[in-house]
Amino acid sequence: MKSKRFEALAARPVNQDGYVQEWPEVGLIAMNSPFDPKPSIKIEGGRIVEMDGKTRADFDMLDTFIADHAIRLGNAEKAMAMDSLDIARKIVDINVSRDEILDITLSVTPAKLTEIVGKLTIVEIMMGMTKMRARLMPANQCHVTNVKDNPVQIAADAAEAAVRGFAEMETTVGIARYAPFNAMALFVGAQAGRPGIMTQCALEEATELQLGMRGFTTYAETISVYGTEPVFMDGDDTPYSKAFLASCYASRGLKMRFTSGTGSEVQMGYAEGKSMLYLEARCLAVTKGAGVQGTQNGSVSCVGVPAGVPGGIRAIAAENLIAMLLDLESTTSNDQTFTHSDLRRVARSVPQLFSGTDYICSGYSATPNYDNMFAGSNWDADDYDDWNIIQRDMRIDGGLQPVKEDDVIKARNKAARALQGMFRELGLPPITDEEVEAATYARGSEDMPNRNVNEDLKAIEDMMARKVTGVDFVKALDRAGFPDVAQNIYNMLRQKVAGDYLHTASIFDKDFHVYSGVNAPNDYHGPMTGYQLSEERWEQIKNIPNAIRPEDI
Amino acid sequence: MDQELLMKQIVEQVMAAMNKGAASAPSTSAGGRMSAANYPLAEKEADKIKTPTGKPFNSLSYEKVLSGELTSDDMRIAPETLEYQAQVAESVNREAFAGNLRRAAELIAVPDERLLEIYNALRPYRSTKQELIDIANELDGKYGAKTAAGLVREAAEVYEKRDRLKKF
Repeated sequence: MKSKRFEALAARPVNQDGYVQEWPEVGLIAMNSPFDPKPSIKIEGGRIVEMDGKTRADFDMLDTFIADHAIRLGNAEKAMAMDSLDIARKIVDINVSRDEILDITLSVTPAKLTEIVGKLTIVEIMMGMTKMRARLMPANQCHVTNVKDNPVQIAADAAEAAVRGFAEMETTVGIARYAPFNAMALFVGAQAGRPGIMTQCALEEATELQLGMRGFTTYAETISVYGTEPVFMDGDDTPYSKAFLASCYASRGLKMRFTSGTGSEVQMGYAEGKSMLYLEARCLAVTKGAGVQGTQNGSVSCVGVPAGVPGGIRAIAAENLIAMLLDLESTTSNDQTFTHSDLRRVARSVPQLFSGTDYICSGYSATPNYDNMFAGSNWDADDYDDWNIIQRDMRIDGGLQPVKEDDVIKARNKAARALQGMFRELGLPPITDEEVEAATYARGSEDMPNRNVNEDLKAIEDMMARKVTGVDFVKALDRAGFPDVAQNIYNMLRQKVAGDYLHTASIFDKDFHVYSGVNAPNDYHGPMTGYQLSEERWEQIKNIPNAIRPEDI
Repeated sequence: MDQELLMKQIVEQVMAAMNKGAASAPSTSAGGRMSAANYPLAEKEADKIKTPTGKPFNSLSYEKVLSGELTSDDMRIAPETLEYQAQVAESVNREAFAGNLRRAAELIAVPDERLLEIYNALRPYRSTKQELIDIANELDGKYGAKTAAGLVREAAEVYEKRDRLKKF
């Protein structure tokens, strides 16, 4: 006989997911592997000669880079000699400040960082995040893509996402050659929705930099680093090439962060028998050593790997915490789809959403999942109200707010019309009134008419050959009768001259005031300190349109 | 209106945090170094910022973009500004980040195309040791990019040791 209870359980979404037992020898273990190196450091003549059980002669490329660039030597021997449990306890002690913690954690090795966070429960990790994230107030980032690479829809979705509260937006492509259209549609749509939103287009490294140099984007994030040398080589880069690339971005006034995450090394077959978290700590040390202001981490596109092993979702939160312990902007993934279970996908986001991080998702899909070109997201446009209600239930700020349908329709329509005008003025293939109308009311690309892809791609090639830049967007939008959107684009370009937003965990408000870890540092030190919801913000979060008002009964 | 409220609230939070931090934040020293107290530079030190083409930050305007007086060459960051931002970073104990900004300041003079070529040359198996050393000498000699050149020389040594140089 078969149990009817077990039959019902077997059909549950959670049992459609894949799970695997720990296998430390190949790195299929989230954290605390018996094969992880024991923390150690030896400094001679102002140089690290031994790190985490290896002497300099045995260093691989990552060890060398980390030892030479990522660790503060002055306090290193003292910090390494401290008991990891004591350091872990300081992280959750409200009487020990963020700065005091950083004095320790910026002076230790990857194995030590791994050991420290390995002492923390998931709740203690969350307490650590609350104290250690760089910026005072949390924020959120979204993905704006669609399967047709339809620029009109990108502009409209970006404008809606802006009204809903996202501070940063990322697009990418189905067809690589569409990248310039996607980037400019995102730029225009975001600035039509709310001035000051930063935008990026995820592409191959050199192409991504090129678009930034041309003023099509304002920051970059898809600069991947890996935790073992063979995987780094497979990724066609080295810590040195990536450090150079980081400086290339800053030299053009462009903000950037690196990307890494647990599971990438085991997925690519070279984990060297180390835990996912230890390898991620190496990635973060490389990021720190390259002098980059921040990271997108939290397994990201490899989430299926840690999610399949015991304690994997805890390890993802732990890797976010390590980023914060290295004083990096923490942009905490919560993106790629990893489960069939709605319960699991919410639980996976609880640590970052409830604690607050610099960017909780990276990103939240601003489209239905079928249009998400980053292989889907843990959260999408169909979940907007769920996110808003969870914020309201828990009295937390997840970066979004309830909106009115009329406001969203207006914003979508304006963005689509602005892009229509800009295309016309730049001599690009026309955007029809039918497309504008469709984008205004669309849920996704199924509601959009098809464009002539060949004509678009030919126009893109021609536009890039003509050396069109962000400055041309400003002029075209002004001529098209959208001076306010044009001004916003101009203001974003102007910020590149000053460079204030290069700093850790920066965001802009609608008046282009920058808030970062420099002028808005997280000062949490216990109850009623750090970021507190103001009355105005709480009003905004709690006033959902569908709540019954007592006076109406 | 909703957005207005949000922004107002953020401004209040930040003002409160800034006031709290002001007592301990080091102000500009006698030597004129920038610190967190001067940040954001676009608001507090606008008169000290120039474009790489020598135009004062305060003279930039939307109208000048429309008239063509300002071009995309003007809408870039200057080495001096990156040095100021590096000083700001140092004042909040972000010395690694400051180092990156200084390396970046040196690279402003390198044209876009050449910068992309150098980045690609630093990828694994792309260059011989001599080619990397030549790039380092170019960065150093032609652009005065000493720290960037140092990074490339370091890479040449490490790539040789780890067998990541061009194979033929």
